[in-house]
Amino acid sequence: MRVALVPGVLALLPEYAGQEDPVPEVRAAAVAAAAWLAEAGPVTVVGDEQGGRVGRHLLEGAAEGDGSAYLVVANGSARRNDTAPGYVDQRAVPFDAAVEAALSGPDPAALEGLEVDLATALLVGNPAGLVRLGTLLRRAGPPMMDYAGDPYGVQYWVMRWTVVDSEEPHEDPART
Amino acid sequence: MAIVNRTRDSFYDQGATYDDGPAQERVHRVVEEGAEIVDIGGVRAGYGEQVDAAEEIRRVVPFVAWVREQHPGVVISVDTWRSEVAREVCEAGADLLNDAWGGHDPRLVEVAAEFDAAIICTHTGGLPPRTDPYRIEYDDVVAAAIAETTALAERALAAGVARESIVIDPAHDFGKNTFHSLEVTRRLGEMVATGWPVLVSLSNKDFVGETLGAPTQQRLTGTLAATSVCALAGARIYRVHQVPETRATVDMVWSIAGRRPPLRAIRGLQ
Repeated sequence: MRVALVPGVLALLPEYAGQEDPVPEVRAAAVAAAAWLAEAGPVTVVGDEQGGRVGRHLLEGAAEGDGSAYLVVANGSARRNDTAPGYVDQRAVPFDAAVEAALSGPDPAALEGLEVDLATALLVGNPAGLVRLGTLLRRAGPPMMDYAGDPYGVQYWVMRWTVVDSEEPHEDPART
Repeated sequence: MAIVNRTRDSFYDQGATYDDGPAQERVHRVVEEGAEIVDIGGVRAGYGEQVDAAEEIRRVVPFVAWVREQHPGVVISVDTWRSEVAREVCEAGADLLNDAWGGHDPRLVEVAAEFDAAIICTHTGGLPPRTDPYRIEYDDVVAAAIAETTALAERALAAGVARESIVIDPAHDFGKNTFHSLEVTRRLGEMVATGWPVLVSLSNKDFVGETLGAPTQQRLTGTLAATSVCALAGARIYRVHQVPETRATVDMVWSIAGRRPPLRAIRGLQ
């Protein structure tokens, strides 16, 4: 099973396209991650209403949903610094650092135990999606970190994980 | 479309680009500023010193050749009503004939067709070249402008000018009082609806000056306001003295109209 995380950046949507792309690196990484998921089969999008739109746009019409691949659309805090859309909150940077550590481990239990109220207060994009990601990563190896940054004061990650599926052992590259 | 006058007496620049050096400098500058067309003129539109065809040719033809060599990608327009001048400038590399006196010389379109040049068809209300309106009235100035310019456009088409190379221009202030020019601005959408691409020449003109009580050198704000209205209506070419201000105005209105994406948008979309 394959799992990827991309941020719910509305600037990725074609209806908000300017002449110059403000997020070229994020877009390139997210598009590549979505394509990587689609290689594994139909993709389930895990996102809120806006994230769902972003996810489906990134998948560009690839088949959706049967549990062989998951595209989680979520991101870190929008209160990180003076360029952020939300007022700066000193808890934002350490919170995102903890999330990033949990994603990188991965540490599924830490993600599943995410403080959703704090995340909501910090304008984290789709906290429920990060919790769900923890569940999806229970048998995952370490991720490919394709992008991490906060170009506009919002923390973005693009990451990919391969999850060992006990029912389909051949999916695990380590065993082949 | 940036105005480059090779005259001693044009109303706005007062001979600033009559000499080669300043004229060349202006061409370099306006191209840098985003002008896609330069409109070169050798005769003042209004009353002024006599300029015969030979003198007009002397003023503009070598300059057209120079621009062609220096800026191969820029569209070169020449503001002339004389077919003998048109022939010389087309041979020197001009792409577009700005017939600002509305078909006064019927052979001009034949030159355009012969050289595969474009042409601007202008409404003057029948005034001969270099004359001002005096007590001209219309039943409907916009209907008159549409009738005259589209008739000229059809004539150009019949003469062999390519359809995509024909532009119409209501010609603010030409054969018009200030009320006429304001009405043409207000109803420009009716000209756009003819399907012919529309040029507007608003830059610092008397209708702006009279409307705002502004002397010649203080008409930019009024010009840009009129430019906005014409841009919203869909005018395609703007004949101007001030290029960057016009470019920004038209780009902004074009985006408001939903015809041009913003340059770069991230606000609220992070």
